[in-house]
Amino acid sequence: MTSRPEYYTPQPYDPYAEEEQQGGWFNSDGYLPHRPQGHEVPQGYHQAPQGYDTPQDYGVAHGHPVPQEYDTAQGYHQVPQGYDSPQGYHQVPQEYDTAQGHHQVPQEYGIPEGYGYDPGAHAHQQPAGQPAYPGQTAEEEPAAPAEPGYHVPETPEVGWDMAASRRRAWVSRAVLLCVLAVQAVLSLRLANTAFQDEALYLAAGHAELQHLLHGTPLPIDYAAYFSGSPQLYPVLAAAVDDVLGLTGARLLSLAFMLGTTGLLYSFTRRLFNERAALAGAALFAVVQSTVVMGYFATYDAAAVFLLALATWIVVRTDRAPVAAVLLAVPVAVLAVGVKYAAGLYLPTIVVLALLTGWPHQGRKAFLRMLLFALGIGALLAAGMYGTDLMAGVRQTTTDRDHGSDSTAFLLQRSGEWGGLMFLTAVGGAVSYVRRSRMNESPAAQRLGNPGWRWRALLGLVLCGTALLAPAYQIHLGTVVSLFKHVGFGLLFAAPMAGVGVTRLIGAHFRYPQLGIMLWTATLCLGISQADWRFGVWPDSSKMIRVIDSHVDRKGHYLASTPEVPVYYLRDKTSHRQWQGVFALEYTDKKGTYHQGDEAYRAALRDGEFDLIVLDGLTNPRVDTVVADAVKGNPHYRLLADLPFRNSSGTGHYRIWTKTS
Amino acid sequence: MRLRERFRMSGAALACVLAGVLALGGCSLFGDDSGGSSESGGGSAPRSSASPQDIPYDVTPLIKPAKKYYGAAVPGAPISMKNIDAYTAKTGKQPNLIEYYAAWGDGFDATGVRNAWAEGALTLMSWEPFDTSLADIAAGRSDAYIKEYATAVRKLNLPVVMDFADEFNGHWEKWGTHDATPAQYVAAWRHIHQTFVDVGATNVIWAWAPNIVNPVKNVRLKPYYPGDAYVDWIGLVGYFTIGQDNAFDSVFGPTRDEIRTFTRKPMLLLETAAMPGERRRADVRNLFAGVTADDDMLGFIWFDYKKRADWRLEASPLALTEFKRLAADDRFGFDVRKPS
Repeated sequence: MTSRPEYYTPQPYDPYAEEEQQGGWFNSDGYLPHRPQGHEVPQGYHQAPQGYDTPQDYGVAHGHPVPQEYDTAQGYHQVPQGYDSPQGYHQVPQEYDTAQGHHQVPQEYGIPEGYGYDPGAHAHQQPAGQPAYPGQTAEEEPAAPAEPGYHVPETPEVGWDMAASRRRAWVSRAVLLCVLAVQAVLSLRLANTAFQDEALYLAAGHAELQHLLHGTPLPIDYAAYFSGSPQLYPVLAAAVDDVLGLTGARLLSLAFMLGTTGLLYSFTRRLFNERAALAGAALFAVVQSTVVMGYFATYDAAAVFLLALATWIVVRTDRAPVAAVLLAVPVAVLAVGVKYAAGLYLPTIVVLALLTGWPHQGRKAFLRMLLFALGIGALLAAGMYGTDLMAGVRQTTTDRDHGSDSTAFLLQRSGEWGGLMFLTAVGGAVSYVRRSRMNESPAAQRLGNPGWRWRALLGLVLCGTALLAPAYQIHLGTVVSLFKHVGFGLLFAAPMAGVGVTRLIGAHFRYPQLGIMLWTATLCLGISQADWRFGVWPDSSKMIRVIDSHVDRKGHYLASTPEVPVYYLRDKTSHRQWQGVFALEYTDKKGTYHQGDEAYRAALRDGEFDLIVLDGLTNPRVDTVVADAVKGNPHYRLLADLPFRNSSGTGHYRIWTKTS
Repeated sequence: MRLRERFRMSGAALACVLAGVLALGGCSLFGDDSGGSSESGGGSAPRSSASPQDIPYDVTPLIKPAKKYYGAAVPGAPISMKNIDAYTAKTGKQPNLIEYYAAWGDGFDATGVRNAWAEGALTLMSWEPFDTSLADIAAGRSDAYIKEYATAVRKLNLPVVMDFADEFNGHWEKWGTHDATPAQYVAAWRHIHQTFVDVGATNVIWAWAPNIVNPVKNVRLKPYYPGDAYVDWIGLVGYFTIGQDNAFDSVFGPTRDEIRTFTRKPMLLLETAAMPGERRRADVRNLFAGVTADDDMLGFIWFDYKKRADWRLEASPLALTEFKRLAADDRFGFDVRKPS
């Protein structure tokens, strides 16, 4: 015995140890051996002798050149076989030298009965109900067992099973439910009247619904300038709005966003494991974009849900026949139909089709990717030629007017809204490239892991996707909708962020406080940013009540945000009667044509509008032009001045009515 | 088995941690915001629970109502409604427009407006700048006072009719033709109006109140007119007096015709009465007939004062009886709280 036995701790593995890089581009065959050299034969061996008071000559025997036979016993050398029979090594050094390869290979450690062997199923990828690793420890029959002078009880290598279990699945789902509950609470606590985009889509949806059901002509050609098909989300949301009102339409978005988080959990779990999935979902659930989109009756929630669903199908069919990936095609194309900008994320899903397929299907994964890309292309082409949406696509997405927001401003905003989660994802990706192992279990160490190139590519694709929207918006120079598009990217970065959090927390929950701190910081940022976001536009309820009695089916009205009264007063007015503050063409009573600011002045001089509603926010410059034109104008009388408080401070609705 | 147990328990522990962090972090965060979120409202439609008081009173239905205003100016009203009640008793109809006079520098009589409103009557305030010149008002030297006044009017959020510096075309007022130019008058009016608009006091009906032109035929009214953007009503001040023809058109016709050359704004006999005596009965009949006949004539305010002459209705019992009979016409008077 040594003099300090109390310091002995059996360490069958070190979860933080660097793993050796493995060969092959993606190393999809997984079970490639950990090629040992004499000096790197498990440390446990070196330590064990101390604990077990192994004779000195063990070290000598161990230091012998590893014979060829040993080398061919692929993968089995790691099984610590000697714990229970140190005597054997001590007593038969000669046999060890000459025939140890055969002796040490435990028969039980072959592919076990009933174990669904999949060379590509990495230890950390855990199909439900299927044990990823049997968790067996090898038993060895010493070549020439000698009766020890004492008995050492058999010690299992691990005291727990890393395989999926029903209990673990339910615990994960319970935590996921908590995450979803948090997300729902954060979204539901937001409150304001309809934002102009919500009002526009819902009003358009009602018009489309009337057109579809009763053939009522559309007041304006929504398809010409919408950033998504007016026949998809708006119609669905308007149908819900008919029954449950704006709250109902917003709850529909909440359902989409909760579904997105659920799908994110599911495909992250399949890509990595439950822990990364829960961490990724927990972060995604509390960022501003998720919280706001979850109570925002616009295309975005539906589009991000469909993207998540397409991704989920791609990840879920990683082991299925190649053609199964086609299931994701209609979903992905539908996402683009719902919101054209979703197309920005299709390349990511296409690459994911390759990456997720590669470990299981090898080169067939290229076919899978090609098939998916061609399917999307074909369906998109069919959709474009079959509908008249191209004008809208050009107007709102590809040829969108360039704004004047600076790159620094956009970068700052992107950083504030998604930076923390993105950095977590980058940290996760870097850590994942350096060390692929996702489980504390020593069994995981023995199972095959994807090669570093595969891991790097996955990290690059997932993290890089988060940069697409900010990069494109910097190109366009506009901050409009950036916060939502940041959220689209974060959906893809979330799995890597989940990995980042698990790495931050460490094996065996060594530093849970770090993960909690990160999540709490994300939560606080998410809450404050979502509150700010939902307070950007003024509460329009008073304004609507003021103008309610001044609106009819005949008048012509001018408003900063015509969509809002058009939506709320849709029973008594039509979109056609409303003019906004961004463009006007006007021919005055003498037949002179005016456009731009002069058109507003001329129209107001003539008393063209029966009601004017300015908010001072939407287009302050034109608001000033209008207010100046109304001052001293004999046609108009100030009907109401309504102060409001919004995220930027205070403002006023000013409403004029035509009196003569 | 211990390790395995620990791993499994850790999932549950994570759940607890998440819930705990939310509970702890959430409480304060949510608490901080509770006031704000209840303030901001939301939901599927503009809130219906809010009282009508929280939006500015919409005076537009009162600017040209379907029925005629049946007004009175009696001493002490509307701060005290006692004399109004007496007037109601003697004429058989509750006045729905009550005029009172305020000097420039007085505070706004919100209580009086409320008193009148409580009885279904609108208040008309005649604002008279005895001690401040129109030029000073136009130059902004009274801005603090105007703003304070306008703020009080806005805060009351009940409709009020205001006329400023009435009878400006007469030489007998301190702001009249001897003391101020039309340009100063217009500038002062517009300045006051704009200050009220800037403060958001949209609950004011602006009545521009010249004296009838009969005694001052050489004073043109148009130069005194601030413009349709600043005026809601044309309020005529004119009396049936002995020594002139008592036909309605003789008393008000020349003024009306002149004014119609530059504005179509509705008219009100903002201050009228008839000299006591034998003719008053006929004057009263002409008054009601003239107001009834003209769709653009919103109504009248009887000046029930004993001032320079006894304009009170009881001074001529026969005329009072005729007045009572004509006032019973349903076209005169309505509850201003329910104009349509």
